[in-house]
Amino acid sequence: MLRFTLAATLLLVAACQAPSGPPLEIVEVEVTLPRPGMGMSAGYFRITNNGSAPVSITHIDSPQYGAVELHETQVVDGVARMRPLESLEVAPGQTVTLERGGKHLMLMRPVDDIDTVTLNFYSGEALLLSIDTRAGGAD
Amino acid sequence: MKRIPLLLILAGALFAGACSERSSIDSTRSSDPLTATLLPAPQALPDFALVDEHGAEQDASMFEGEWHLLFFGFANCPDICPTTLATLASATRTLRESNPASAPRIVLVSVDPDRDTPDVLREYVSYFGTDTRALSGSEAALRELTAPLGVYFNRVPIGEDNYTVDHSSAVLLINPNGEFHALFSGPHKAENFIHDLPLILGTS
Repeated sequence: MLRFTLAATLLLVAACQAPSGPPLEIVEVEVTLPRPGMGMSAGYFRITNNGSAPVSITHIDSPQYGAVELHETQVVDGVARMRPLESLEVAPGQTVTLERGGKHLMLMRPVDDIDTVTLNFYSGEALLLSIDTRAGGAD
Repeated sequence: MKRIPLLLILAGALFAGACSERSSIDSTRSSDPLTATLLPAPQALPDFALVDEHGAEQDASMFEGEWHLLFFGFANCPDICPTTLATLASATRTLRESNPASAPRIVLVSVDPDRDTPDVLREYVSYFGTDTRALSGSEAALRELTAPLGVYFNRVPIGEDNYTVDHSSAVLLINPNGEFHALFSGPHKAENFIHDLPLILGTS
């Protein structure tokens, strides 16, 4: 009986600790194409931290862009303001959504004829994740 | 001339929004209240002299004879400006399909004159449809239009060699007499324009 209870408890603990997916998950990635004559566009996605430690994304780069910055649009008292973010913090179990009118990527100085986009996410020097997506999201 | 500060109108819009929560359930019902704020009396636009996307000088008479939606933004804005312009383009496209008289023309007033030359603006607004126009001019010339309307803009440095422009997010409806008629405060949704414009324009 004791052995059964112990085994059941261990199973329960294992179930509680089983990760529900990769430690860091980025889905619904959308990269808009630069408007005619413009050297920049925006990127959006949803990021989930399935791990047990906080994640801090400090910078993002891409071979298809001269620079990628984390920005946030805030509308305060009817005034729209866009400000750079120092980092993107995702607590354990938390999902952060980058969306129109909120947090977003500012993608600057694209290469010509942009098609597939690679985005590399870093925390300090450590590369956390790389994702590929096709540019050309709807407005 | 009676001047109504934008903040006052926005406060009214917020109050109206708080009292009309039902409209968010099905904003396409014509019996629902307007999401826009109508001015108690249309306000004549101030005298201004700006340049359009073709480099032609324009003044308040450009608005006579047609309804217009005015949005203040800039081309190097990756998020809220193209999102708003795309929303307006989508809404006016839908309205035009049912009744062309219900679809105002869209005008982007660029508050970033250093970067938004007529050439830049012509190419930029063409993305949002042939009915979209653009205006810009020197900062002083822009303020001739924006200040009396209570529209705010301010250039803010970001990083060492870049800047952004804070700007009012509202969309202003200008009537065919060239008067400020109603205000849409954000966040902007196509269904709000599709619901409100036929009612305001009297084309429903």
